[in-house]
Amino acid sequence: MRLPLSSRKAEPDAPGVRPQMLWSLSPRSDREAGDAIASNFMFHAFPAKVSKASMAWNYSFWLGTISAALFFLLILSGLPLLFLYVPSVERAYQSVKDIEFVITFGSWIRAVHRIAAHGMVIAVFLHLVRVFLTGAYKNGVGRGQHREWNWVLGVVMLLLTLFLSFTGYLLPWDQLAFWAVTVGTNIASSIPWVGATVREMLMGGRTIEQATLIRFYVLHVVILPLALGVIVAYHMWRVRKDGGLARAEHETLAERPIDTPVVKTKTYTLLGVARGQAPVIRAQALEAPDTTVNAVPDLVRRTAIATLGTFAVISIMAVFIASPLEEPANALVTPNPAKAPWYFLWLQEIVTDTTIRIGSFTVNGAFVGGVLLPGLLIGLLTAWPWLDKSSHLATGVWLPRVRARQNTVFLLVVLGILILTFIGMALRGPYWYFYWPWEAWPDIPARI
Amino acid sequence: MSNAHAKAPTDRRDFLLKLGAGAGVAALTAQTAASLRSLVPNVSYDSPTTVKLGPPVDFPDGIKFLPDERLFVFRQGNTFHAVSAVCTHLGCTVRAEALANVQTVESGGGELRLTHRFLCPCHGSEYKGDGSNVSGPAPKPLAWYRLSVAPDDGQLVVDLADEVGTDFRLTLG
Repeated sequence: MRLPLSSRKAEPDAPGVRPQMLWSLSPRSDREAGDAIASNFMFHAFPAKVSKASMAWNYSFWLGTISAALFFLLILSGLPLLFLYVPSVERAYQSVKDIEFVITFGSWIRAVHRIAAHGMVIAVFLHLVRVFLTGAYKNGVGRGQHREWNWVLGVVMLLLTLFLSFTGYLLPWDQLAFWAVTVGTNIASSIPWVGATVREMLMGGRTIEQATLIRFYVLHVVILPLALGVIVAYHMWRVRKDGGLARAEHETLAERPIDTPVVKTKTYTLLGVARGQAPVIRAQALEAPDTTVNAVPDLVRRTAIATLGTFAVISIMAVFIASPLEEPANALVTPNPAKAPWYFLWLQEIVTDTTIRIGSFTVNGAFVGGVLLPGLLIGLLTAWPWLDKSSHLATGVWLPRVRARQNTVFLLVVLGILILTFIGMALRGPYWYFYWPWEAWPDIPARI
Repeated sequence: MSNAHAKAPTDRRDFLLKLGAGAGVAALTAQTAASLRSLVPNVSYDSPTTVKLGPPVDFPDGIKFLPDERLFVFRQGNTFHAVSAVCTHLGCTVRAEALANVQTVESGGGELRLTHRFLCPCHGSEYKGDGSNVSGPAPKPLAWYRLSVAPDDGQLVVDLADEVGTDFRLTLG
């Protein structure tokens, strides 16, 4: 039985044990702020206190939070689609057409799902770029830090995000879907020795048929989201264990322990007074009241702004941007030009340009550009924290001078990928010929 | 002696622990292996590779595209040959484009009139009329397949699993 309000004690006896349904978002003391974290299921992933600097909008741009918000939104918008979509080659296209044109709010839900998916590819990629440019995968001064592993997890999550997009791409079973998957699975089959087996396992046969659709569907709705969800949780846990964002590290390095005056909310022992630790306390910067804030309400408020802001932007965009649906999949006619989804266009551009001929010996560009080069790039990206020998003082700093060279190379690679993507998007016409944007494409008969 | 006696219960406990853990790991491994094996198809429902294409009179002199088989069948008088329409780069279907000037080349199987060239819409590979790759990322020529005549009704038959050289011709009497 609950006591009437007036007779309850103002301060709880122990944190986290109050039988209370709601918690305070405007705590009156540090104790109450900590209590709000400890007694809340949603907030238990947060620290009780967080450094002001790592909350700055212009340090992280909150790209990780935005990526997570998009992932959450994708799960939310995916649920109604799960009820409406039928994963069969006879009915998939019709069911997507129904979602688009018949079902109330169907086209909006599909647009939210699609735009959030594109947005997630962008957000995750930008998050990776931000972490690289700030050297946030580096360990600072804290004990037992292994930030490099969180970087590796990040690379894995980028790949999972791309693979989630790719598997979702096939589901409408239209021309775009069918030929994108033809090209994608043929890239897999160009791996020497195991390629044909990999392709057959992915497709459940030698042609893109029902077995392929159901495999991509199960990967898209069960296996990949589950894997991503688990890794996201582990990623967050690791951030906590490594002492928060790398920016906090920088703050600890920059500031000396400072004397802080006695405050009401801390407990001071007699022994501490005798040893001279009280009433003037030597505190590390991270614990100093002027460099940190309570997670409730400051961190909660900013997380809410980033998350709800993402939801709002996507929801509004989905009203104005319609999702395309091409003709039903037709194995007999390859569209001309046949383009991959935009985030794979740089790969399509590379596989076009990398067939190597040495005398009579030829290596298929599908293998060089589709497997070897991206594999090398991902391998290098994964191993980078161990190759980067710069000082730990460069941890969590935007574009420090000691990392100028590697940041330049990294940005050039990113720029190269963006340029190739642009060429694929805007400058390729029928038969993948090069056309300037102002040049008209020639009329090509649909059939011979 | 007493030492060994004292150790015996620990050993048994240890043994049972290992047995239990081992059984658990073995069961999990078997489950995983069985699940993965079940995803490898035992029966292929892919279309058969030997296909009847119709009676030879249905094929005009020159080129005919068969979308279902993704195949070009060529006829010069009473000789036939078939060239695949599957691009050797990444498997898109190439398109035939008529040439302004017909070329004639000498190949192992006799004179060949090249009336078309082939272009791939996916990555811009280009092939000559005999299937040899000219430009673009395609690593090798288009495949030539064996043509034959069905013994029962005289239709043309292609074997999409039987690649042949460019000297192959089916000549009807």
